[in-house]
Amino acid sequence: MKLTSVLLTVGSAVFVQVVLARYTVGGVWAFDLVLVGVIFAALQWGPAAGMVGGTIGGLLQDLLAGEIVGVGALPKTMVGFVGGVVGSQFVLTRAHARVTVVVVASVVHRLMILALGGLIDQQWPAVSWSAMLTETAINAGCALVLFQATTMLPGVMERQRMSRRSTFSRRQW
Amino acid sequence: MFLRQTFTLFAVICVGHVLLISAQVQSASGLPVLQSIAFGALARFQTATGAVADSGRGLWTNYVAVSGAARESEALRRRVLDLETELQRQRALADRAMALESALGLRAEVPAPTLAARVIAGSPAPGSSRVMIDRGRRDGIRPDLAVIGELGVVGRVISPVASGAATVQLLVGQDAGAGVTLERSGAGGIVLGGGNAAPLRIAYVPRLADVQPGERVLTSGQDGIYPAGFLVGTVDEVLDAGTAERQILVRPAVDFSHIDLVLVVLSPAPDTGRGGP
Repeated sequence: MKLTSVLLTVGSAVFVQVVLARYTVGGVWAFDLVLVGVIFAALQWGPAAGMVGGTIGGLLQDLLAGEIVGVGALPKTMVGFVGGVVGSQFVLTRAHARVTVVVVASVVHRLMILALGGLIDQQWPAVSWSAMLTETAINAGCALVLFQATTMLPGVMERQRMSRRSTFSRRQW
Repeated sequence: MFLRQTFTLFAVICVGHVLLISAQVQSASGLPVLQSIAFGALARFQTATGAVADSGRGLWTNYVAVSGAARESEALRRRVLDLETELQRQRALADRAMALESALGLRAEVPAPTLAARVIAGSPAPGSSRVMIDRGRRDGIRPDLAVIGELGVVGRVISPVASGAATVQLLVGQDAGAGVTLERSGAGGIVLGGGNAAPLRIAYVPRLADVQPGERVLTSGQDGIYPAGFLVGTVDEVLDAGTAERQILVRPAVDFSHIDLVLVVLSPAPDTGRGGP
């Protein structure tokens, strides 16, 4: 069940990323919804889920991007695992606390990718801090919406169920 | 116990990733097999996502956002009229140029055949400057063919090329470049992508060449990929003019964040026969 949930989360994130990437490639907006999905899985289901989600999501992203397979997957696996460990050590129930994890993960993930690129090319790549900031901000915004939705959804459904029940009880049969 | 198992699995996966990366980086001959097989298989998935996105956008533009269509149609009709006039003028100029070319004994350049292609996906890696198109090997697409848009040069086809899809490296990409000529000054140079200050910059322009902002930048055809005479952009800014560290920043003609239909030039850039490099 947990594996299915992780696969569904990461699969949906990859799908949305591919669909939206078409309209943003070459532009100023950069985001990584797969990373958001991986951190979501890590905080929701633990380090193993984060690790599996990071591996699968990262590999899919690398294959779709036509880049060296593993360059995106290795940082995502590490970030997913550490995110899961942090989530299991500290009780992160509030959305803003979870978003903070996404912000830190986004920066660390980008720096790891740059470092890997530097190792492969044997030269430190040009770093665009504004692009990194934009990516982190968009990731954080998406994560906030996702975490708020998952926090509020059970309550909303429960209220709807209760209101349906009370409507039935008032009805005269 | 559970955490120890997880740690072990984590270490194994990380080592696996490192081995996977090493295997691809050390591949000396051509493209890694894994990458080309995976690209061919995943191109179908990208075509499907492109179709989903297009149908969603089509639903919006065809049924929801139709207000103002009549006004737009009227404006377009006027624009067509203007363009028809401009076309007539350009034809006349082209006829004159051809007559002059034949008088001077120059070889006439036959326009290269092109193939229309639709962009089906962007690279999902953030910050990457590659797109996938829905034409591939079976349509005659191969690496190093030029890709142009309605406004100017878009990029070139790079590996991998699948049977029904291909990857295009955009001109603004980090390792992209093209041979160019500045229209007014006539100076040559190489336009390079991936800059931090501007999407494009021109390098190797003779120091004495007088380059002014607003000048049009055209392909020179000397790189063997892009045919001569296509618009790349306009000079946006010239920094440190008059010094050895002069930087020529270029604003691209194409809006790279909204590319939908492109043309692939099916033959390499013809030899212009206008002298040496």
